[in-house]
Amino acid sequence: MAVMNKQQAKKLAEMNDFFLDLLNLLKEKRVISNKEHRTFLLTGYEKLVEHLGKKKIISPVDAKKAMKSGFTSLVSSLSK
Amino acid sequence: MDGWAGQRLRVDLTKGKITKEPLTLEYRKKWIGGRGFNSDVIYNEVPPEMSPFDPRTRVCFGVGPMNGTAAPSTGRVTVTCKSPLTGGFGDSSMGGHWGAEVKYAGYDQIIIQGKAKNPVYIWIDDDKVEIRDASHLWGKFPRDADTMIKEELKDEDIHIMLIGPAGENMVRFACTFNDVWRAAGRTGHGAVIGSKNLKGIATRGSGGVKIARPKEFMEVCNKLRQKFKNDPMKIGLYELGSLCLINFANKDGWLPWKNLQYGGTPLANNMSGETHSQTVLKHREGCYACPICCGRFTEIKEGRWAGEHFGGPEYEHAVPTGPRVGIIEDANDIWHNARLTNDLGMDGIETGAVISSAMEWYQRGLITTKDTGGMELEWGDEDVVDQLIQDIAYRRGFGNVLAEGASRASDKLGLGDDGQYYTIATRGMALPGDDPRGLGFGYGLSFAMGTRGGCDHLRSLCCLELSGALYPGLNTKYLGDERPQKPTTTAGKPYMVYYEENQKAVVDCLNVCCFTTHWSYAVLTQDQLDYFNACTGLDMTLDEFLEVGERVHNLERAYWALLMSGAREDRVPERFTNEPMPQHVDYQTNVGATLPIGEMLPKYYKYRDYEAGTGFPSERKLKQLGLGYVAEDIKPLRKKYMSETEKKKKKYYY
Repeated sequence: MAVMNKQQAKKLAEMNDFFLDLLNLLKEKRVISNKEHRTFLLTGYEKLVEHLGKKKIISPVDAKKAMKSGFTSLVSSLSK
Repeated sequence: MDGWAGQRLRVDLTKGKITKEPLTLEYRKKWIGGRGFNSDVIYNEVPPEMSPFDPRTRVCFGVGPMNGTAAPSTGRVTVTCKSPLTGGFGDSSMGGHWGAEVKYAGYDQIIIQGKAKNPVYIWIDDDKVEIRDASHLWGKFPRDADTMIKEELKDEDIHIMLIGPAGENMVRFACTFNDVWRAAGRTGHGAVIGSKNLKGIATRGSGGVKIARPKEFMEVCNKLRQKFKNDPMKIGLYELGSLCLINFANKDGWLPWKNLQYGGTPLANNMSGETHSQTVLKHREGCYACPICCGRFTEIKEGRWAGEHFGGPEYEHAVPTGPRVGIIEDANDIWHNARLTNDLGMDGIETGAVISSAMEWYQRGLITTKDTGGMELEWGDEDVVDQLIQDIAYRRGFGNVLAEGASRASDKLGLGDDGQYYTIATRGMALPGDDPRGLGFGYGLSFAMGTRGGCDHLRSLCCLELSGALYPGLNTKYLGDERPQKPTTTAGKPYMVYYEENQKAVVDCLNVCCFTTHWSYAVLTQDQLDYFNACTGLDMTLDEFLEVGERVHNLERAYWALLMSGAREDRVPERFTNEPMPQHVDYQTNVGATLPIGEMLPKYYKYRDYEAGTGFPSERKLKQLGLGYVAEDIKPLRKKYMSETEKKKKKYYY
């Protein structure tokens, strides 16, 4: 499920510190709620990826890859 | 009552009154224990304008639900007060066994207020609490007072918290110990305790800790103990103690040499963990329930100081009165200096920092022998360092000036901004033995933002950049990115510091040793939550758990706001931003580095939801954390902080 376009994904992937911007974008796109934004800000990347996999925003394969390879893989999956 | 004892002990030394106060479940869920309990008391009971030496001030000793249980390394105690060194919020933490004993006696926290007419110590024997004469103990080293109290109370197995002569003389960076050698080093609470005429607290507890779900609890604990068996950090710390860091620090250019003018010295190996273990290590020691046993016991066998013995030293204890003051050739001098600061009861970091600042003032001609009472403050002169350590503790001559801490000493000597440049401090507290130009830019950011006075390695303890390389994939797990593993990059550091600060705060509420949760990462955040829930019977979620840490951090930050300390004071010593790291060995990895703090601060503020102008926590954030009353306290101060009058004030301490 594409929640951002390639340009947004590229911008995120190039950021020096990306996590807050990623959460903000996901909230803006209503992929995550306000409460979930707060939860993942506190609990970190792995919990976000688990959630996106459970909600089928990304496939199980992409979730596994994102856990292993990090955020550049995740944003790529989110822009497919 | 599962986990917690459910009550705290309040001792009023002025009135001689002892009360026991219940702690509601709601309160315990909000603050958990340790640092959380203490920070709440200080915020609500010690007005920011109160002098740290006012008898009405409080000193809090916080334990928590995990103290006294089988969970690994859950024996620590947090000590909190208004710091006489910085004038702001201050806390410190110590290992040992006293925390468990306090819990077995039936208390989650001890609050001391008032001032005794004469020196006293407190004797807690389960629910029986007495204030006893300590005039015979006043002036004694902790090791001697410990022996005397045990003889007096006829029990070798009691555990005792004590101050040394430096605390009695209200040296602004005096500290406390328990079990003689386990120190809560930083922020000067030993002086506050001394100002109350309190020598110590002896404790005997015969109770236990009730665990809500014991089978589940023991499964988690046993799983963690298995993990420790092959953990690389644990093995290093057991074998060599925290001195295992010396050669790494030297290579990566973060070992302070001559007041951090350099990041190391070619002779660093003289004091490494390897050398220590081969020459002076007598035995290893562990704190309560600890599988690591990083503690050292040292005996000097030859030379001028032959026969001296003491518990320690840690890296942070040995470096300041070693390489930081230019001493490295004879490591026995370093061990002796560490023994002295222990026996006299002073923070080794601040002691070395103030002496090295004075040496650099002398080096650069800002002070002369007229100021020092004739002493020539040459780098590496052990006679001078040995004399100054004692003069500081007993407030004699030039030592009396240095006993105020480097920032105040600089002002007392009339050195202006030039003198402050060489104090290597933020908000009045000196940097420990870790130069962020080498140890990591995350550390540098956390030094600027630390809520106990800044310049502190333990507020976030960014070990994702220190230890990350030993745990492949860990940075990705928490941060989504392996780049932050590299010390000298800013990539991912704002989020790293935000995450680690919250995590460290909740670890401090649990009173778990950070060597098991940040250095070694054997105990992950989820593990902490699992044993906490099994112990207490609560079923907190991970975000609720970490929110406690965020709440504590913001409460402390707000206390600084009440002191008019905010964005303008969120800085690191200019040495790190202005001076590229020079070379000291040819294999050094950080030659030329400076700390780009300005690149990280704005993003960090966004994570924290601090206001850009003041740096105060936003009203929105404080309300989100259930701290609406704190938001009301800060509201009228925002405009004042941004006024031209405030902007002109230079605040090196409060």
